[in-house]
Amino acid sequence: MKLSNKISCTHCHLEFNENVMIRDGENYFCCNGCQGVYHLLSDEGLDSFYDKLGNNTLTAPTGQYEDSSNFNSPAFYDKFVKTDNDGFNNVSLIIEGIHCSACVWLNEKALHKMDGIIEASINFTNNKAVITWADNVVKLSQIIDMIRAIGYNAFPYDASVQEVHANKERKDYYLRMSVAIFATMNVMWIAVAQYAGYFSGMTQDMKTILNIAEGTLATPVLFYSGWIFFRGAYYGIKTKIVNMDILVATGALLTYLYSIYITVIEQGEAYFDSVTMIITFVLVGKFLEVLSKKNAADALDIIGKNIPSEVNIIKDKKIISCKLADVVVGDVIVIATGEKILFDGEIIKGSGTFDESSLTGESEPIYKNISDNVVSGTSSIDADIHYKAIKDFEHSTLSNLVSLLETAIIKKPKIEQMANKLSEYFSSTILALSLITFLTWYFFGDSFEIAFMIGISVIVIACPCALALATPVATLVGLSLGAKRGILFKEAAQLETMAKIDTLVLDKTGTITVGKPEVIKENIYGDFDKNILYSLVKSSNHPVAKGIEKYLKEDENIDEYILDSYTQIPASGISAIYKNKTLLGGNLKLILDNGIDVKFESENTIFYFSIDNKLVAIYELRDNIKSNANELVLNLSEKNIEIIMLTGDNEKIASRVASEVGIVKYKSNQTPEDKSNYIEKLHAENKTVVMVGDGVNDILALAQADIGIVMGSGSDIAVDVSDVILLDDSLSSLEDAFKISRTTFGLIKQNLGISLVYNAITIPLAMFGYVIPLVAAISMSVSSLLVVGNSMRIRYKWNKK
Amino acid sequence: MDNWVIGMMLSASIFLGAIALFAFLWAIKNGQFDDQEKFLNGAKFDGVDELNDAIRQEKKKEELKKNYKPE
Repeated sequence: MKLSNKISCTHCHLEFNENVMIRDGENYFCCNGCQGVYHLLSDEGLDSFYDKLGNNTLTAPTGQYEDSSNFNSPAFYDKFVKTDNDGFNNVSLIIEGIHCSACVWLNEKALHKMDGIIEASINFTNNKAVITWADNVVKLSQIIDMIRAIGYNAFPYDASVQEVHANKERKDYYLRMSVAIFATMNVMWIAVAQYAGYFSGMTQDMKTILNIAEGTLATPVLFYSGWIFFRGAYYGIKTKIVNMDILVATGALLTYLYSIYITVIEQGEAYFDSVTMIITFVLVGKFLEVLSKKNAADALDIIGKNIPSEVNIIKDKKIISCKLADVVVGDVIVIATGEKILFDGEIIKGSGTFDESSLTGESEPIYKNISDNVVSGTSSIDADIHYKAIKDFEHSTLSNLVSLLETAIIKKPKIEQMANKLSEYFSSTILALSLITFLTWYFFGDSFEIAFMIGISVIVIACPCALALATPVATLVGLSLGAKRGILFKEAAQLETMAKIDTLVLDKTGTITVGKPEVIKENIYGDFDKNILYSLVKSSNHPVAKGIEKYLKEDENIDEYILDSYTQIPASGISAIYKNKTLLGGNLKLILDNGIDVKFESENTIFYFSIDNKLVAIYELRDNIKSNANELVLNLSEKNIEIIMLTGDNEKIASRVASEVGIVKYKSNQTPEDKSNYIEKLHAENKTVVMVGDGVNDILALAQADIGIVMGSGSDIAVDVSDVILLDDSLSSLEDAFKISRTTFGLIKQNLGISLVYNAITIPLAMFGYVIPLVAAISMSVSSLLVVGNSMRIRYKWNKK
Repeated sequence: MDNWVIGMMLSASIFLGAIALFAFLWAIKNGQFDDQEKFLNGAKFDGVDELNDAIRQEKKKEELKKNYKPE
């Protein structure tokens, strides 16, 4: 039977073969879930969803969820549900399965139709929902059931402190910037009139009118938009650090007061335009920094999501689900194929293979039998077992790992950023120079007004517009250069840290090697239809089977057959029946157990395939080294970066891979804690370390390192704790990441250089009283433009490559 | 041209600009720009039904508020 005639499911729009679809009148459905959702939507009058959906596809509803009554438990309410001022309940959820705006529409609609729901608002960008409801009318479990019934799933997250804070801060900046930009734009055109009048002459009355207008506009900018600087200055003084905020605040405030004084006495020139310009420029620079800061809050949400809230245990000969906290040592836990192990324990019934790569990094599945120990954090590949818990959840390896991770994130060293250091010296120097200038002019016989004005002009002209823009603009250019090449830096400051790196620590599996075994040799011993083998391996999740599937897929004509009696034999392989022929595919054990005699030697992983107990093919597989590993090691060694490889694999494999790519220093048999300790040791030797990894077994080390880089295909948690993500998994992007960070760091230095040179020229001029307002305004803009232009130049150069 | 004309023009334009600015600030504070996609989709999809629904939802909220006694 060949596969053909693909049609799409009426609900989810995914395409399947016609004969596997459920026919329902004129509609076709791929599964009962889709059919159910479709009818529910029609009954509720929500079928205009499909018009809105257009050609988008959905994920088919799985229908396998943990019991929703958990959501009504007091413990859950304590943790996630908040009560608002009216006494209504409020929960934050992440909704899974949202693909397009139609999905958002459907969820909101369906929830609004329920009695007792006050408000449901879903953010399309991050799939987060806030739901408010009256608890005496409807329960949270019913709300969750509704979301599931229409084909989505929801899990709660704690929208507490950090995220709310980050959003609030951003919004605050929007408001302050809107005011500042509006006022600056208006002050500018009034200033043009003033400067024109300065040269062509203008009556004092007119000058005063313009001054009053400018003053009116400058007031909200200084006291509302500029409030951030006053606050910063206050904290600076309190902690006795002369920061940039003090300089900006004093400069702007003194200029403002002086300008009011000028307006009142109706003599001389007012500088309200400088006040608004300084505040606006520096505020924009600050805002860019806030934008590029990473939101650490999401990391812990994802970890929580990966840990189910309950397990199945056997009590009184019945299987019941039980909360993690209620499981005690000695309880018997039931694990089915594909489930996660959450407790450390000992197997008492059943056997099968386990994926321990998340803890050890070993790519090979491990076979376990009765009385073997299972470790939490691993997962069953094909094992159906019962096991006895030997530790409670709080003391399990998994929760240990989570708490270690939390401390590692906090303990992460922060390299002091160059611009911050510089601004402290800069600010104190300028304030001192300004004071000296004022005193000198005053004591050498000039009037207080002139001396005061010249003193202020030093601060105004030095006011760090260019300095404030130097770092954020350069890092933004760096970030976007990276993003275009699939390198995501989560925080701008990491570019600078990464440029100072002297040690690179690499994980082996998935980082230096591809992480998936690939067929390197095919030995055919008898004629057979490769489609049969393809159909056999396609249904297995075992990495070896996946490797063969990938190899066979290279042939475009490969097709899938439907097999009977498909069984996975733990730690051996797979068997099935096709047209009364017995198919066997797996390792040596499977072949010998079935009485097939074979002699074959190879140092690679071997997959045997037999039809009716006759061996027809042998495949040799190997976890290959990524294409430009050698080049990376060579190039980075030339830049004096020390390269170290850490792996959970054994010494033999480690030494082979290390010598193949040219790494001298490596450590084998490393547990996650070992890796993290090793990085701590490097820190103790004053090394700045980049760690590159991909699995859960690397997360401690990733969090501990100065910069953690993760491959995009890595596990969710690893992606979350890391600082840089390489979307295409390639080592050449790793090298690009180094190049970009160094270029950006160079750019930051250049920009700081430009603004310092600008100051070195203008400050002496201001001190000698040569700076007229027009020059101050123009030179301030020019220096800022120079800095921005210089940053764009690099972007142009890179794009041309 | 008298100075007061300039003065009046300046104050009128700043006043009008300020009104627009306050409307914008109000919109930001109200969360109109929190989710760009949704904001645009509202314009794209929302018809009579959606607006009626929104009003019904408001009414439901009021109704619940009246009768609601937190446990």
